[in-house]
Amino acid sequence: MDEQGCPRCLTTKYRNPSLKLLVNVCGHSLCESCVDLLFIKGSGNCPECDTALRRNNFRLQLFEDAYIEKEVDIRKKVIKDCYRKEEDFTTLREYNDYLESIETFVYNLTNNQDVENTKRLIEQYKRENKETFQKNRSKLSKDEEYLAMLIEEEEREAQLRREQDRVRDMNEKNSRKKHKEELIDELMFSERPASAILALHNAANTTDHSSAKGKQPFPKFSSGASWGFPTTDGTALPTLTDQGEPYIYTPCELQMLGPDPPSESDVQKKGFLKNVRSASDAERGGGYEARLACQRALMEAMCGLFLYQDTSEPMT
Amino acid sequence: MFASGTQKHHWMFHSTEEIVLLRQEANQRFVGDFGKGMDEQTRDKTFLTAEEEKLMMQHFEFILREFCKKFQPTMPKYVQGTALTYFKRFYIHNSIMDYHPRDLMLTCVYLACKVEEFNVSISQFVGNLKGDRDKFANIILGFELLLMDKLHYHLTVHNPFRPLEGFLIDLKTRQFKNKPDDVERLRKNAEDFVERSLATDTCLIFSPSQIALAGIIYSAAESRVSIDSYVTGVLMQKAPNEEIKKMANQIKKLKQMVKHQPSLQRDLIGPVQRKLEACRNQANNPESDTYKRRLEEMFEEEEEERSRKRQKVTEQEQRAISELLGNE
Repeated sequence: MDEQGCPRCLTTKYRNPSLKLLVNVCGHSLCESCVDLLFIKGSGNCPECDTALRRNNFRLQLFEDAYIEKEVDIRKKVIKDCYRKEEDFTTLREYNDYLESIETFVYNLTNNQDVENTKRLIEQYKRENKETFQKNRSKLSKDEEYLAMLIEEEEREAQLRREQDRVRDMNEKNSRKKHKEELIDELMFSERPASAILALHNAANTTDHSSAKGKQPFPKFSSGASWGFPTTDGTALPTLTDQGEPYIYTPCELQMLGPDPPSESDVQKKGFLKNVRSASDAERGGGYEARLACQRALMEAMCGLFLYQDTSEPMT
Repeated sequence: MFASGTQKHHWMFHSTEEIVLLRQEANQRFVGDFGKGMDEQTRDKTFLTAEEEKLMMQHFEFILREFCKKFQPTMPKYVQGTALTYFKRFYIHNSIMDYHPRDLMLTCVYLACKVEEFNVSISQFVGNLKGDRDKFANIILGFELLLMDKLHYHLTVHNPFRPLEGFLIDLKTRQFKNKPDDVERLRKNAEDFVERSLATDTCLIFSPSQIALAGIIYSAAESRVSIDSYVTGVLMQKAPNEEIKKMANQIKKLKQMVKHQPSLQRDLIGPVQRKLEACRNQANNPESDTYKRRLEEMFEEEEEERSRKRQKVTEQEQRAISELLGNE
């Protein structure tokens, strides 16, 4: 297996499980201790490609492949520089072209192709669309807005639920207290025997409880789908417009065109299995039974027996 | 299931006459296409008649069966049955002169091996042939798709072999409870009968279970065992008398077809085969120049089409990039 390791000191993850690989803009990785050693002054050159690097630009390597690490880094930067949204374009084609060009920039920079030219193009692009970028940066994107709205809604819902719970608890406490007082009053002043009064009260208590529970339905469980999306034209999820004919299930009908073959239980009980080779242990381990082959042979023997294509009389 | 499958729906015919008629039509179609502008006499001299085609079919069916019997590793019988069924089905709607049976025969067996899960590789398969094996492999693989297409991809074939086993089990269990050995004695003749039925067109007219039952009845008659009570009492328990009569007719016709198959007239084969070589459709002959040229053209066309597409795509891309970046 390819062991992940520091290219400079050749320590691997196997030998030092706490090894931390860091990566800088050039995309070459170094382990933490090498970085400490080499960049003691705060800046220096990459030992692999001799690019001037700064120490505080080092960050933890997220991907095993340094190439991907570099690509992600560059992508982040390019998108930050040239951020435009779908609404900024009049046609989908233009938007797609924009995405395509972003990909080209990222690819060129990652693979060190035509770097100067690409950088120039990015600068140019940046200058041309300066105001849109600034506008976009200040404005939250639609997705973010929607997420914030969802969170808010959820919080409101939770608060409502808490409030309801509190009210219910209080009611319950009060009623229990009232019942207790009534019971004591009755025990004090009634003529009836104490056990009867107790039984009566217990019964009344339970019915009360159940009715209280029935009155207050549990707050509806919400999955978010029913909240809607007030900023756009309605629902959050795309609705299916054309659903076609609903599927109607009809059970499969077995066509025999012949006499009914012996049923499964018949095959097992009436001695059919005596006349077939019994299954070996290895075969049974795989889920095979002698019954299967037996039933199949019988089924095929019966199937199609009453097919009369040729209706002519035989020659005598 | 046979009763709901393609074999019953598409490949069952009403009588031998219907099959003969269909084959005649295929023959006429070929002669009409290739014999344009010929007078009656030259036509007769150049092309095979339907009878001669039948003879060729018989001859190659015989070769096919011999090939299957000698095949190494030993081939199960149902592969042979399936291959023969494919062969017969193919030449119902196609003329022998259009596709040479020698090529198609091998392709049928190869396809049957695959469909019936008898696992042999192509090199193992052509190892059973004498001569230029690479050439055979190319022929087989070249015709495989065509064969499947002409069979309309109806590849499941129900053979009479399993039904025969089913009847033997049923007889042992429901009829001769205490004497299973008696039933076992019927096996040899019944299997022989089923195997002889492969040489006829029974598989295109009768259901596989009928062929198997006919085999059992034939074998029982040979060894003087009565199984009438099994057929009428167990199999046709609830059926009306009329149906029993129909069944008896069916079995009788089957027996006649199997017993009275015309023997192969070997002395006629040579001349007919020479005639076939002369009049066959060269476009479907893997050794002819026409065939090779056609193959090459097809390949070139594909290549051209591909390069055309590639060019179009790159042009489009170029244009889009220059438009987007707005320079030049």
